[in-house]
Amino acid sequence: MHSLRDDQVEVRLPTTEEACQLLYFEARLLDERRYEEWLELFTDDAYYWLPMHTDGETSDPRSHISIIYDDAERRAERVYRTLHTPVLDQSPPSRTVHFVSNVEVEPATVEGAARVWCVQLIAEMRPGGPSQAGLGEPRWFAGRCEYRLRYDGEAWKMALKKLALLDSDRPLYNLTFLL
Amino acid sequence: MLTEGVGLADLVCDDEREFRIHTRLYNDPEVYAAEMRAIFETTWVYVAHTTEIPHPGDYKTTTVGRQPVVISRHEDGQVYVLLNRCRHRGAAVCRMESGHSNFFRCPYHNWVYRNDGELVGMSQASGYPDDFDKESFGLVRAPRVGIYRGLIFVSLSKEGRSLEEHLAPARRYIDLWSDRSPVGEIEIVPPPHKYPYPGNWKWQAENGADGYHGNYVHQSWQKVLERAGEAPVKEIKRYREAGAAIGLEYGHGLLERPGGLNPASSWTGRMMQTFPDYADALRTNFSEEAIEAISARRNIFIFPNVYLFDTHIRTIRPVSVDNTEVFLYVYALKGVPDLLNQSRYRAHERFYGPSGFGSPDDIEIFVSCQTGVNATGVEWVMLNRGQHRERIENGARIGHSTDESPTRAIYREWKRLMKRGVAGSAAQEMRGALA
Ligand code: FES
Ligand SMILES: [Fe+2]
Repeated sequence: MHSLRDDQVEVRLPTTEEACQLLYFEARLLDERRYEEWLELFTDDAYYWLPMHTDGETSDPRSHISIIYDDAERRAERVYRTLHTPVLDQSPPSRTVHFVSNVEVEPATVEGAARVWCVQLIAEMRPGGPSQAGLGEPRWFAGRCEYRLRYDGEAWKMALKKLALLDSDRPLYNLTFLL
Repeated sequence: MLTEGVGLADLVCDDEREFRIHTRLYNDPEVYAAEMRAIFETTWVYVAHTTEIPHPGDYKTTTVGRQPVVISRHEDGQVYVLLNRCRHRGAAVCRMESGHSNFFRCPYHNWVYRNDGELVGMSQASGYPDDFDKESFGLVRAPRVGIYRGLIFVSLSKEGRSLEEHLAPARRYIDLWSDRSPVGEIEIVPPPHKYPYPGNWKWQAENGADGYHGNYVHQSWQKVLERAGEAPVKEIKRYREAGAAIGLEYGHGLLERPGGLNPASSWTGRMMQTFPDYADALRTNFSEEAIEAISARRNIFIFPNVYLFDTHIRTIRPVSVDNTEVFLYVYALKGVPDLLNQSRYRAHERFYGPSGFGSPDDIEIFVSCQTGVNATGVEWVMLNRGQHRERIENGARIGHSTDESPTRAIYREWKRLMKRGVAGSAAQEMRGALA
């Protein structure tokens, strides 16, 4: 077990294997639309964040908008909306396949959490009847992720999931499934 | 076979009881091409907000109809709209979405232009005779550029109403919208949210001031609000009945919801309660009555391509008859606490944009409409809701909040411009400018 001191607190670093296990599990929960279980992977103070690029940087949520900038409450709302309300944009629902790759565990901690980098490729499709524009067409989304992980004594939790899509500043059609 | 002029204009039937438009307005490439010429390349089109190009040298690129343009601020402070096309062999001289440069250098053979369009010089100039008339080979300038309260509009035609005249019917509403900032100014906060959809541009133009769909398309949103303890669905539905849908002259229109200063029912009221500084600033600059008027919530459409919303300026960019790109330029209200603006950004993300809890439901409908109108066994789309009950006041047609008054306003102006045809439209004017 690796550990580092961060602000006087003993912070554990995950092994690459531990990090991968969590990321793969998350990917499967999303692909199986087990969104409520997915919520449990986050710490209470976590953000689920899809920033937009501006001048080569990703936007600061205090002074800019993001595609998604969800705290715990907004995440819960998002999942509730997707699963339990009459949404048009998720009926029919998206099928997704999440690929996770290039996982790196940083040998230092940030704000009391371990930082894990990876890239993701997400395939998505909504099945639909013939001639229904926008349905039945597989789409691909690539992005670089930053995760911050904390060990709560029993399991690794996500204190941040930041996904910077390759085309975050281009027109994006229906991103109402969870990425 | 349609010909420009009378035939096209007949596709909008301005009947007193059964106002309707022909399906071809949504899926006929010929109609689309005519719209680009007779509407987008003729009338006033919104292109940018002054705060997107605050300093000399700042520029932004977009399209006006089919024309790629650069909007630039010259060292004299003036705003120019230039065709983004090198006068040599046609390369786009400006390829970024926005940036800063006092010169545009063509990437092909290095002709250089100043940001007011003037041709500075050609590379290896000895290849041209000494009397080569550089002055007439500048980037082509749009003949008319106008600014009202920071909103920059361009007309590619020398003729037609002045911008002042064009905006006159909507002016009061633009002012009220701007004055939610105690100093009456907004500032665009880039980058904008952007979404494309495989459908005609007019689905979005119609929808922003459509008060009829909310209780059906946004049921999911209403449930979210209920869950958050903001209001029971029943109450939201009642609120959705309140207010007015107003069709203005010259194609503009709006959907208006009651405001007031009650924090329980009004955003302005809530903000004034949460941020006393905001309340003080408003009260310093405006009377109680004026604040009341400002506080109503409005989606304001300025024909043909821009909406002023509470959190953003929404531009509609037709790409083809069945493809559209929509940009939502979120803005900060100037002269208010940062935290107030921050709360507006979060509120915006919650409803709007590609992952919002509202926009994607609307877009789903645009696409659904585009699919549906492929059925040509039915020719007309009905826009007569509320015709029998709207009242006319100073040219404005005021309907129940669920009535189609703003949509009819769009098509009255559409019809007028189509009737006028391409005479005096961009292609001709631009050539005229070079003659
Ligand atoms: S095309 Fe621009 S310099 Fe040749
Ligand atoms: Fe809507």
